[in-house]
This record gives sequence, C-alpha cells and structure tokens, in this order.
Amino acid sequence: MKTFPFIYNQPKDFLNSLQWKDWADFLLGEINPLFSFTETKAKVIDIREETADSRTFVLRTNRNWKGIQAGQHFPVSVEIAGRKVTRFYSLSGLSKEKRTLQITVKKQAGGLVSHYLNERTQVGDILGLGAAQGDFVLPKTLPNSILFLAGGSGITPVHSLLQDLKERNFQGKAKLLYFSRHDKDIILQDSLDLLEKENSWLEIKHVLTDIKSEEYDFGFLSKKMLEDFAPNWKESLVYLCGPAPLQNSAKQLLAGAEIKSELFLLPNQRVSAFSSNGPKEVSLLLSHKTVQIKGEKSILEELEEIGIFAPSGCRMGICHTCVCKKKSGAVSHMVKEEASGEGEENIQICVSRAVENLELEL
Amino acid sequence: MKTLSRKLSSEEIQSFGNELEEMRKEILSKVGQEDADHIKRVYKVYRYTEALGRGLLHFSFDPITFVLGTSLLTISKILNNMEIGHNVMHGQYDWMNDKRFNSRTFEWDIVSDSSQWKFYHNYMHHTYTNVIGKDHDYGYNFTRLTEEQKWKPTYLGQVFANMFLAFNFQWGVGAHGPRVEYMEKPKKQRTKRTYKEYRDVFFKKIELQLVKDYIFFPALAGLNFPKVFLGNLLANMFRNLWTYSVIFCGHFTENTETFSTEELKNETKADWYLRQLKGSSNLKGGKLFYVMTGHLSHQIEHHMFPDIPAKRYQEIAPRLQEICKRYGQHYNSAGFIKQFASVWKRIFAYSFPDKIATKIMEPRNAKARKRLDALSVQTITIEDKELTAVS
Repeated sequence: MKTFPFIYNQPKDFLNSLQWKDWADFLLGEINPLFSFTETKAKVIDIREETADSRTFVLRTNRNWKGIQAGQHFPVSVEIAGRKVTRFYSLSGLSKEKRTLQITVKKQAGGLVSHYLNERTQVGDILGLGAAQGDFVLPKTLPNSILFLAGGSGITPVHSLLQDLKERNFQGKAKLLYFSRHDKDIILQDSLDLLEKENSWLEIKHVLTDIKSEEYDFGFLSKKMLEDFAPNWKESLVYLCGPAPLQNSAKQLLAGAEIKSELFLLPNQRVSAFSSNGPKEVSLLLSHKTVQIKGEKSILEELEEIGIFAPSGCRMGICHTCVCKKKSGAVSHMVKEEASGEGEENIQICVSRAVENLELEL
Repeated sequence: MKTLSRKLSSEEIQSFGNELEEMRKEILSKVGQEDADHIKRVYKVYRYTEALGRGLLHFSFDPITFVLGTSLLTISKILNNMEIGHNVMHGQYDWMNDKRFNSRTFEWDIVSDSSQWKFYHNYMHHTYTNVIGKDHDYGYNFTRLTEEQKWKPTYLGQVFANMFLAFNFQWGVGAHGPRVEYMEKPKKQRTKRTYKEYRDVFFKKIELQLVKDYIFFPALAGLNFPKVFLGNLLANMFRNLWTYSVIFCGHFTENTETFSTEELKNETKADWYLRQLKGSSNLKGGKLFYVMTGHLSHQIEHHMFPDIPAKRYQEIAPRLQEICKRYGQHYNSAGFIKQFASVWKRIFAYSFPDKIATKIMEPRNAKARKRLDALSVQTITIEDKELTAVS
C-alpha cells in the first residue's frame, strides 16, 4: 500500500498533525498571556495622553519579536467584541530597552481599532504584533541635509527617525515641517520640543491648517513656505508622511528631489472613478457555496456583508493574511488600479474587486 | 411517510420562512464577545482534559487512575469533535478571525478528513437533508429507515450492523468521505481524480490517527504501553458510541420525515426551512448535556441556522417552537432515552418488508397525529374568532 509509509516518508506532516505548536502555545498562554511559542505579543506597560484624541502606548514584547528599525511599521491586533482585528502602526519612538516599543495612535474618523485603543485599552492589556516592515528608514550613510514633511499622525514614524538621528550623532542639518489642524492637535509636542532644544542640527516648524493661533504659522504647504523654510530642499533627502492631499501637493512642489514617502490608506479611502457593471457570482470552492456580490467594494468586505468571514489582517494589502487562490475569473487590484488576468493566481481579497464571475479557493 | 404537521399553503410557507429569516438576522446581530468567550472556554476544557487524561493514563498503575484517565480523554475527544470541531467547521466562528477556530484551517481528532467531511456534511447533508438518494447520511448506505428505500433481505441484519457501527462510528463516517466526494462532486469543482486519489486522502488521515493513538502515545509511556493503548482504544470507542447516539437521534427518530428528489424541484428557501424542520429531531436536557452533544441536541435549530454559533440555539429553540405551534407544525423533541429508543424501533421496524414495518410504526404515528389534529383545530378556531372580530 502506497499510503502506509506516509508517516515514514513525511514525518513532518505527522508531527504537525499532533498540533504540538498549538499545544505549546496553549500551555505557555496559560502560564502567562504574554508567553507564546509562535505568536508575537506585547503588553501595554505605559499609556501617555498626547492630545484629546491621541495616545502613546509603550509596549513590551515577548521573545518572538524580531526587532524594528526607526520609521518602520508593524501590524497590531486587538480583540474587539470577540473578533481579532489588525491595523498597522508606525514605531513612534525609540527605546533604549530591548523589546520595548512605542506607538502613537490618533482616532480616525470611523476607525474601529484607533477608537478602541484610545478609549478602552489599559496598562496591562495584551496586544498581538506582527513582523516589522517598510523602507521608510534612514540610509546607512546619513546625508548632510534632511527635510521631513509630516501631517497629523504622519509625525509618528518621523519622530522615531529624529530620535534615530540623535542616537547616531547626526552631523548634518535636519528640518521638520509639521502640519496640524490646530494647536491642541499637535502630537508628540513635548518630545519634539525637547529634541529641538537638545539638538542644534534640528529645526522644527509647526504649521496649523484649520484654526489660526498666534504662536504658529497658518496655511497649507506652498512653494513660498517651502522656499522660506528649506531653501536647499533640492540637496536634501526628503521624508514625507501624512494625509494624501499633503503628499500630493508635496510631490508636485518637490519634483526632482529624492523623496521617501509613506501613506496608509484603506481601500475605501482611495478615491477612484469606478462603477460596477452589475453583480458577480462567486463560487467558494472549499466551502461549497455560491454567492452574489456587488463588485463595488473589496471581495473581503462584500463577503463579510453576507456573513462569510475569510481570514483577514490589515485590510489594505500589506499583510497577506487574506491571500486566496483564484481559480478563474478576473479581479481588479484596488490599490494599483490594474486588472488581473483570467487564470489561476493568488489574490489578496482585501484589495481586490470582482470584475467577473469568480471561482475562489475559499 | 405520513406527516404529523398541518399542510401549509404556499403563502403560509412563505411567511413561515420570513419569520425565520427575521430571527436569523436578529440573532446574528447579537453574535459577539459572548460567543467568543464560550468557544474559548470549551477549548480550554478540551485542552486540560486531554492533558490530564493522557497524563493519568501514562502514569496509571491502579484501576482508578486508568478509569479516570480514560474518561477524561473521552470527554476531551467528544468536546473536540462535537462542540468545537463540528461547529467550527460549519464556519460558526470564522468571524473571530482566530486560526484556532477557523473552518478553513481546523483539523479534528477523528479519522474523518476535515476537507472531505466539509464536503459531504456541510454541503451534501445540509443541502439535501433527508432526501433519499442524495443525503448520504440517511442510513449511511446500509440502514433502511423509510418505505422509500427498497427492501432487500440484507436489511434483516441491520440491527446488528448498526450496533457494530455504533462502536466504530468514526470509521463509518470517515469511509463515507471519499465515496461521496467521488460520486457527488459538482462538475464545476471536479478535478479529474480517480476514486483512489480521494481514498488516499482518507487513508492518510487514518494513518495519522492510528499512529498517534496506538503507537506514538503508548510508546511515550514506555512500559505502560498496553495500558495507554487500551485507554486510547476505549476513549475512541466511547466517543464513537456517544456521537453515534446523538447523531442518529438527530434525523432517524420515528416521526422525522424523508423527501424525494422530485420535491426538491422549485424549492424555495422557505420550503427548505420547512424540510429542515420536518427532517430533524431534538433532544431535551441540561446545559452540560447540550455542550457534550455539540448542541446537536438542537438539531432542528442547527439545520435551520448551521452557521450561527451553536450556543445560540438555546435561545432560538423556544421561539422556534412558538412559531411551529402557530403554524401547526410538529416540533420533534423529547428526552434522550425516548428519542434513542424510537431510533432503534425504527431501525428494527424497517429491517422488515413494508407490510411488517408499517404495522410496527403505525400505532404511535396515529396517536401523535390525533393529538396534533386536535391542536391545529384549536389554532384554526382561534384564528376564526379573530377573523370575525376583525370583520
């Protein structure tokens, strides 16, 4: 019989069938909720109020944490009403202690996780983490001149980059132009003030965009503002992080400069001229169901609306938790704005919209 | 097969279905933290009973620890198969986004392969409930339970065959998998595979299970090998007896009805609901009993709402009963002993040709029908009064 030597031939499969990793995780979790064999988790050890709608969380991770560079981001999972939800947050500050991280979270309009973290999370809570990623980091050899442009909560990775510069004894010049709605809305202000006071290489300028205040400048990013504050922008390395309108105007004004930028957007926050051409039929091959979806939002969201929950993570195309095999039919990628082929391929259903009838291995 | 329920007009069936749809929406909106806490708690008990059970077996030197160890392992296996496995694989907890409770990744402690099981249970059995020829769970191919199955002399031995099946239930269920998949896989999903390929999936699972229970764990115990071997064998057997009993009570009690493929034509969602009701039967008991049956004690509710977290069936049941009463529909529910006895009566009766079978089955049917007729007459007169009051 061909099958019997199976365990002999593939002992790994047998070992996995014993679910020993689940076992180890369960036992470690019973001893201490932070302990885990496979999962990266962190305990909230300190919470600081930044503004009325943002807080900084200091996290201490377990041993599975692989480390992070200033400016990178990582997935953070919380359990809300029994459901595990994941969002990405940037490292907002460096810590001298090993395995200690800091994120700063501002409440987003309609944001489930950002509201939960701001309103419910307390010191001692356990959060799930994932591996750090992103190339919004400082180069190995530091340039002489750096210009940071940040808006709103886009300051968080920039703040950790500034701290990184300080750590690395930066010898050049750095300037930060930071846009906030009004003066009470400035995130990490104390820490930024301190950084500016301690480091002669750093110059920070706060600009308010919504409500005027005597102490600060007012207005949106303009050519004049840029020339006045950083006339040498062409020779600078530019770091750009903030809402889409800021990024768009900055990229136009700074044409020619070397720009590193980061923008987190959920698929539904992207504006695109799109109209669905009617409902699509989706066959879910593993669960033996055929359902109708509208083809207007992401496949993940539309399936959830009819009560089918596929595994999901960041919901914006970064973490690949929701990847599933498409056997036939075409989808369009909502971020890249491009259509896929007809054939068999793996798709991320959180950023894919159904264009035709689909067959998914789900 | 004669029905105990009042025949409904198509409008009545439609409004019956609408009421259930409404209920479904309402219950689904409540699903959340409570359900997550429940399944995690059960998971914890399952893990602890397994650890403790296996631990006791490994170090058992006297009959007491052996019996205790075996019982705990039995409980653990039952929880794994019923309240966790069966419900998780229906997708009841997919919304939690937790890989331990996700229908796509879950694999259970039983010889039936989870992907095959999901096909012939979630799809075949739940779509074609009690449709003779389509629902392969109906009689598991060798038990005759209705006049619609043609009598053959081999059925004479089905009482004994079922006793044998009860002790080895997981093998019956597992062996079912490749066969049904081979026969029934819809054309759309059919990759050209031979029966052997389907069967190998099952064989692989068998091998993993057998090596785990009868070689790996006994070997770990060293000199205690025979005791651990025996403990595992008994635990698997008791689990088999339990699951057999619960599952047979779900569809094969005396008054559960069967359907033909013709009746499926033009079936609406409301008709489907009604078929689930007529084809299933419940067990009464306490909360612990419900959990140990994986809430298959609420087979009717489960068949109407297979993807609602199972513990919710407890709050659905009284409301569903009330709806059934209003529509004059028989809601088949009784204690475990009564239902189990009625299953065996049915197995016994239909092992004989129809002439004898109907004679054994008829008296109780007649009595029940009389009772129900009286009930539906009552409801009709109430409706009449209301009508006159309105006019």
